Amino acid sequence: MQRHKHLKNIFILIVFLFLYLPIITLIIFSFNTSSLNIVFEGFTLDWYTKLFSNSALLEALLNTIIVSVVSTGVSTIIGSLAAIGLYKFNFWGKELINKLLYIPVVIPEIVLGISLLSVYTLLKLDLGMGTLIISHIAFSIPFVIISVRTVLNSTNFQIEEAAHDLGANELKTFFYVIIPEIMPGIISGATLAFTLSLDDVIISYFTAGPGSNTLPLQIYSMIKTGITPDVNALTTLMIVVIMIVLMISSLIQIRKIKKEAM
Amino acid sequence: MNKNSKSKYIYLSPVIIYAIVLILFPIIYILFLSFQTSDNYGGIIYSLTLNNYLKIFDIVYLRVLYKSACIAIITTFICILIAYPFSIFISEKKANTQKILITLVMIPFLTNSLIRTYGWIVLLRKEGVFNSVLRSLNLIDNPISFMYNNLGVFIGLVYTLLPFMILPVYSSVSKIDKKVLEAAEDLGANSYQKFMKVILPQTLPGIFNGSLMVFIPAIGMFFIADLLGGGKIMLIGNLIKNQFLVSRNWPFGAAISIFLIVITFILVKFYKKSGGNMDDLGGF
Amino acid sequence: MKKIIIFIFLLLILSGCTTSKENVVNILNWSSYIPDEVIRDFEEKYGIKVNYSTYSSNEECLAKLSSAKEGTYDLIFPSDYMVELMIKRNLIQKLDKSRLTNLENINYNYLNYNYDYYNEYSLPFLAASVVLIYDTSKIDETITSYNDLLDDKYKGEIVLIDDQRIVIGMALMALGYDMNDTDVNHLEEAKNWLLELKDNIKAFDSDSPKTFMISKETSIGVIWNAEAALAMKQNPNLKVVYPTEGFSVSIDNFAIPKGAKNIDNAYLFIDYILDGKVMQKIIEDYPYKNVNFETQNYLSIDYLNNDASNISDIKFNTGSFVKNIDEKIELYDKVWAEIK
Repeated sequence: MQRHKHLKNIFILIVFLFLYLPIITLIIFSFNTSSLNIVFEGFTLDWYTKLFSNSALLEALLNTIIVSVVSTGVSTIIGSLAAIGLYKFNFWGKELINKLLYIPVVIPEIVLGISLLSVYTLLKLDLGMGTLIISHIAFSIPFVIISVRTVLNSTNFQIEEAAHDLGANELKTFFYVIIPEIMPGIISGATLAFTLSLDDVIISYFTAGPGSNTLPLQIYSMIKTGITPDVNALTTLMIVVIMIVLMISSLIQIRKIKKEAM
Repeated sequence: MNKNSKSKYIYLSPVIIYAIVLILFPIIYILFLSFQTSDNYGGIIYSLTLNNYLKIFDIVYLRVLYKSACIAIITTFICILIAYPFSIFISEKKANTQKILITLVMIPFLTNSLIRTYGWIVLLRKEGVFNSVLRSLNLIDNPISFMYNNLGVFIGLVYTLLPFMILPVYSSVSKIDKKVLEAAEDLGANSYQKFMKVILPQTLPGIFNGSLMVFIPAIGMFFIADLLGGGKIMLIGNLIKNQFLVSRNWPFGAAISIFLIVITFILVKFYKKSGGNMDDLGGF
Repeated sequence: MKKIIIFIFLLLILSGCTTSKENVVNILNWSSYIPDEVIRDFEEKYGIKVNYSTYSSNEECLAKLSSAKEGTYDLIFPSDYMVELMIKRNLIQKLDKSRLTNLENINYNYLNYNYDYYNEYSLPFLAASVVLIYDTSKIDETITSYNDLLDDKYKGEIVLIDDQRIVIGMALMALGYDMNDTDVNHLEEAKNWLLELKDNIKAFDSDSPKTFMISKETSIGVIWNAEAALAMKQNPNLKVVYPTEGFSVSIDNFAIPKGAKNIDNAYLFIDYILDGKVMQKIIEDYPYKNVNFETQNYLSIDYLNNDASNISDIKFNTGSFVKNIDEKIELYDKVWAEIK
């Protein structure tokens, strides 16, 4: 039995090694003096300073942040409203709308990418930040709806009626009763939309235009034409940021649990 | 009543517009395109033809479909083989440890997927980390080709898609009631019977869910094949991309896309029939 | 909640402003072609922001140009046959050469080619050839031809440009045909030739095949001359060969798409690039064949002595150009899908 347990732990360890190996490698090489990334020659912080003068990379980072923030914002609003609406109301064609909403979730991204590109071409839209944002909204909304719906399904809506009975108007009920109730769903939906948007390669590949290079696209072309270790430095910084965010969010959670316990 | 319909309008009109303009219309347009003829310059000659669909069944393109399907199926299997025991082993840990471990699974996937792919290139290439280490340990004389072949593509796809298998499988494994397992034990079931009769049936939906979420993207991930396969492994994704960005044959690219949509729908139907919940596909 | 909404709208407005009001030029160019530094210098000198997108084959350039709305790009760099095709398809506009002060810098040997006889629509920027290159430290035999590459010994040792016209053209030349042959039987033979070669091919890469030669991932390459020259700088064992069966060449050009919105800036950029010193910077970083008289005076010994980069005019003229083959391209597409 004990040996079994060891074997199981070793298996878990190997899987984690597999998951983290490429990232650890890049972090190590971000401190490497050699620019070829082949052998570790010596310690340096040069790539971190170089990173801040790589204007193409920084511009791509900025574009990515703009696209992700805007598309997440819009899709969170539309998606949350939609989830509530689809939960509360019945209307003609609801079945169809519900079915359509699953399409971006299940079809291969490349199909969504080329169909959006075709439509933009048909409508003679300028490819750029605008089309990129629209495309990101297009694939994010269903994820927000699903997240919010999961929470709605486990919510008791009598509270809304109670609020009504107590004389709260529609708007008040919405902001003070419904929204707080489904907040966890909104947050998880928004987080999901944000991460998907931040990392999207395939749909952006087809729908970006001049001046709207995103970080993934920039890195794609850098990998193809010759990458420099400042990308490793960027990876390291991103990991650090993610770790900090995760740590803060878990701290908040712990405090919340403690508060509730008191 | 009047008020109610007004709020209904506010809640629903954005999503209806969205669903029609950004989902329904693009797909109908692609369907329309798939019946047109290409003029080979990115232009379209309006016609009504099935040629693009017939072309898919040309032996040349069938081979691409076949190879792509094989790669996606094998990727899915490898993911199951890793994710299934992994999830079971994790679910045996304490609740808090489980939470931490699952978060640790997620962290790498919050960083850029291309950067991680690049990490693999650094590890796998001929003068890369793996070969250097193996050589310095005198285990090999000549470098091993880890990438620019099928192996590289598999590593890349499995790596990128593994969490999409781990999460649903883990969530189905962790839902198994421990008491049922104990009851089975009390009734004298051995571990094989316990697995076949209790664990497997209850986790099957999770496996289906994960398989769908690995298989479908695996068909379309052209950039993995491009970067780790050395541009000589053509998946359906690469084929579609080429029709749109190189060969300028949009109608043929559209036909392949419609073909993919149909396959996806069939798989989803199957998933639903087997008791899968659609919402599980989009929530993590 | 409200704050978030306001914040998002502010961002939307902001992103809208930044894209519409700026003084920009939208350039669509080959990857690995103009060093970043040159672009930055141009931006600084004229206060014009350069939006730079790239492609890795002429076909991709055409696809990007025709799929985007008219006016998306202000300046492109198509090769010879693509210029011809774009003129035919009415995709590029006539150039007003009087706006270029550095016009006379262009080497007249590279003007008035058939694809645009009076250079009404295009002006040469660089010339390129596709060369064979191999690592003498790893390969003992002397390689002189494409057919030499079929040897079993070179399994997984070759990197090729990821360009169907050039790779299939190479196979056609190896078989003694013209590289623009569209005969079905000849193409079938070419396909079989490439299938025979396939085991020896490690990768197809147009963007940076030099990396494969520098990192010793491969020991043989059929790649762009500048890529070969750059690889030779880092790996002195590399030897350049112009294969006996022939080789392909191309002239890359400046061209302004129909409906370009920032034409003035496009001319400024062309004129800037045609400056001898600026072109020298480009040529030294990406050592293609120079077609600028003025630049000739500034080129380094390194560049001039390199067989790959500094191919003579006479030798250049023995190379074959890729030609426009219209709808026959479908035959090439099929061969391409089959060998990949």
